Amino acid sequence: MWQWFYKLGSPRHFYDMTTAFLPWLYGITFFLLIVGLVWGLGFAPPDYQMGDNYRIIYIHVPSASIAIGGYVMMACMAAMHMIWKIKMADIVAKVTAPVGGMFCALCLFSGSFWGKPTWGTYWIWDARITSTLILLFIYVGVAALRSAYDSESSGAKAASVLTLVGVVNLPIIRYSVDWWNTLHQSASNLSLRVEGTNPPEIWIPAFFMGFALFGIFLLAVILRSRNEILVREKRTQWVQDLLDRDVQEGLQRA
Amino acid sequence: MPEFQFDGMQDFLAMGGYAFYVWISYLFFALVVAWNLIQPRIERRKLLQLHKARMQREAGLNKQRVTEQS
Repeated sequence: MWQWFYKLGSPRHFYDMTTAFLPWLYGITFFLLIVGLVWGLGFAPPDYQMGDNYRIIYIHVPSASIAIGGYVMMACMAAMHMIWKIKMADIVAKVTAPVGGMFCALCLFSGSFWGKPTWGTYWIWDARITSTLILLFIYVGVAALRSAYDSESSGAKAASVLTLVGVVNLPIIRYSVDWWNTLHQSASNLSLRVEGTNPPEIWIPAFFMGFALFGIFLLAVILRSRNEILVREKRTQWVQDLLDRDVQEGLQRA
Repeated sequence: MPEFQFDGMQDFLAMGGYAFYVWISYLFFALVVAWNLIQPRIERRKLLQLHKARMQREAGLNKQRVTEQS
C-alpha cells in the first residue's frame, strides 16, 4: 500500500499507472453520468414547492462539493510539494487550479439560474454565495500567480503558499449558512425513514451525479497531469521513447 | 421502480415551465464536461505534433550527415 502510494509520487509511475486505470475511469464515469442524468432529469419526482426547477440540484450540489474538495486536494498537494519536494504533487496542484475553478464557476452559474425562479434574483451578496465567489477568485489567482513567474520552481513555490493561505476560506464557505442567517439554505437532511426530509427518490440520483462529476474531475486532472509530465520530463529517455512510439503508431488518443 | 415523470418529449423539454433555467444550467454543465475532457486531448495532440516535427528534423539532419560523409 505504502509502496504503491510512494510510486505515485514518481511521474513515470504515475503515467504508467494512469494508462492502465484510465479506461476503467472513463467507463465508470460515463455509466454513472448517464444513469444520473436520466434518473435526475426524467424519473425523480418533482419537488412539491419548486416543481421541476429543483432538478438543477443534480449539478449544483456536486459541483459545489468538487469546488471545495478539489481545493482541499490542491492544498494537500501544495503542502506535500513544499514539505517533501515531491515533483508529482506540484504537477497535480498546477493542473487542479483551472479544473477546480471551472467547477466552482459551474456551481455559481447553476446556483444563479436556480436562484432567479426561486429567490427572484440571479445574484445576491449572501454569505455563502460571496464566499464561493471568493473561492473562484482564489482558484484564478493561484493559476495566474504561477503563470506570472518565468521559472517553474519559483512559480510553484508562490502558488503553493497562496493555495495554503486560501484554505482559510473553506471553513467560511462550509459554515457560512450556520454563522450568518442570509438567504442560502443550510444542508438538507437525508434519510430513508424520517418524514419531512427529502425522499430517497430525489437524493439517490444525486449520489450518481455526485460520483459522476467526481469522475469527470479526476479524469480532467489525470489527463492534464499526463500532459504536464510529458512537458516537464521531456528530456528523459522514457518520455522520448514514449513520444517516439506514440508518433510512430499515429496514436492521438489521450 | 421509478416512473417517467413527464407526458412525452414536449412536456419533458418544458420542465414544468422552468425550461430556460434548467436547460441553461445543464448546457453550461455540458460545456464544462466537454471542455475538461477535450482540452487535454488537444494539448496532447500538440505535444505529439511538436515531437513529430523534431523527429523529422533530426531524421533529415542524420541523412544529410550520411550523404556528406560518403
